[in-house]
Amino acid sequence: MSTHNTPPTPQSATGVLLASLLLPGLATLAALAPASAAAETAPEKSTIAVKYGSYSDSQPGWDRIKATAPQVYVQAPIAGEWSIEASGVADNVSGATPYAHTQKSGASSGGKLGMSDERKAGDVKITRYMARSAISASVAYSKENDYKSTALGLDARWSSDDNNRTWTLGFGAASDTIDNTASGINTAINEHKNTQEFMGGITQVLTPADIVQFNLTRGVGSGYFNDPYKSYDLRPSQRDTWIGLARWNHYLEPFDASLRTSYRYYSDTFGVQSHTVGLDWVQPVGKLTLTPGMRYYSQQAANFYFDPVLNAQGQYDAFGTLMRVVGLKGYKSADQRLAAFGAVTLSMKIAYAINPDTVVDFKVETYRQAADLYLSGKGSPGLDPFNAQFIQIGLTRRF
Amino acid sequence: MMKKTILGLLAVTSLAWLGGCSSIGQVNAWEKGNLAKPGMTFESDPLDQRFTQHIYGSKENSSGGYGVGGGGCGCN
Repeated sequence: MSTHNTPPTPQSATGVLLASLLLPGLATLAALAPASAAAETAPEKSTIAVKYGSYSDSQPGWDRIKATAPQVYVQAPIAGEWSIEASGVADNVSGATPYAHTQKSGASSGGKLGMSDERKAGDVKITRYMARSAISASVAYSKENDYKSTALGLDARWSSDDNNRTWTLGFGAASDTIDNTASGINTAINEHKNTQEFMGGITQVLTPADIVQFNLTRGVGSGYFNDPYKSYDLRPSQRDTWIGLARWNHYLEPFDASLRTSYRYYSDTFGVQSHTVGLDWVQPVGKLTLTPGMRYYSQQAANFYFDPVLNAQGQYDAFGTLMRVVGLKGYKSADQRLAAFGAVTLSMKIAYAINPDTVVDFKVETYRQAADLYLSGKGSPGLDPFNAQFIQIGLTRRF
Repeated sequence: MMKKTILGLLAVTSLAWLGGCSSIGQVNAWEKGNLAKPGMTFESDPLDQRFTQHIYGSKENSSGGYGVGGGGCGCN
């Protein structure tokens, strides 16, 4: 296939591959610098980005959670062969969540009628660039009223001689502490959870218009997995996961557009399997870039999730459900997030390049989660549908 | 049935891709101009991805698969 573009250097082509492998949350801002974000060459310029996120969700008759999340990200080259990246976020969350299934919390039910919490999180990543490979190490810390998490990550990536293929290996570990005694609820006192993740991946240039990627991740987790704010919640102390991710980006020359597709398969020892499909169309229009997208997600229920008891009218029977819980032995949960359901997200992102080094962006997403969106057509009974809206406004500057 | 079909297609595609590599992927450096465009990157906006994946991780059972190294949260 011919191209009207200036032939890139081999290094920039390698950058396409390796930028695509960088870990989410810690990756360089490839939107601004797809070539200079190459793993083998340290970035030539520094980057700073800020983004403000807003989130709200609801179910019929009940506005549940509102959250805001300002984020900042910086990246700087060091001595031509290194780079350092750092980011921070301060989430502010308020509202209420169901005490069981999609039932509204209340003082009499033992759930939280209302809550307010702030989470502050930050991470630092250092990358060493070599001739055809790069190695990164990162640390992350997150703290909120009832939850602390410390994590580290290591990853290595290297490319073939022709820069058409890149392999990656990654390892991550997190140590979490859950304790809600400060709020006086006392349903989780000095509980701990540890997780390790191992990831292997390959990215391959197929044609001048196609690049594909496959990642396989194995997760091993042990410790406290209960939700201390849910009634009737007792989960296994071990959760291991397998995740397969396949992505394919295709360039459509007649439109000067890119089609990004992805599929993720997830399976864990709670008995949950899920499928996630993503589709984005990236359309440059002068200084604007429009990116409409959609995502479909479907999961089956955990093997210890229990359905609510419904009355003759099909409405939630709280007493009957309580009686069902009393009769259940072993692990149990009425957490909506462990039920069988499907979800659809529609999104639109608009980015405007003020100049080659400065981009502002705006993104809006609408999300709907419902039992009847489950892949096989009928998910868990007795759950209200759930809706959410996300909005992001960002500014990225390179200098 | 649908799930098995999806997984089957994925497996066949992966095997074809991994096994037949001698005949695919022979792309020269000067042919990669379109691949270098911002729209062709897998991680185009990490702050966007972090925000969005954080939400999904707090509202759905499944999370991860896109990389390692992040910490957890007590998300509601």
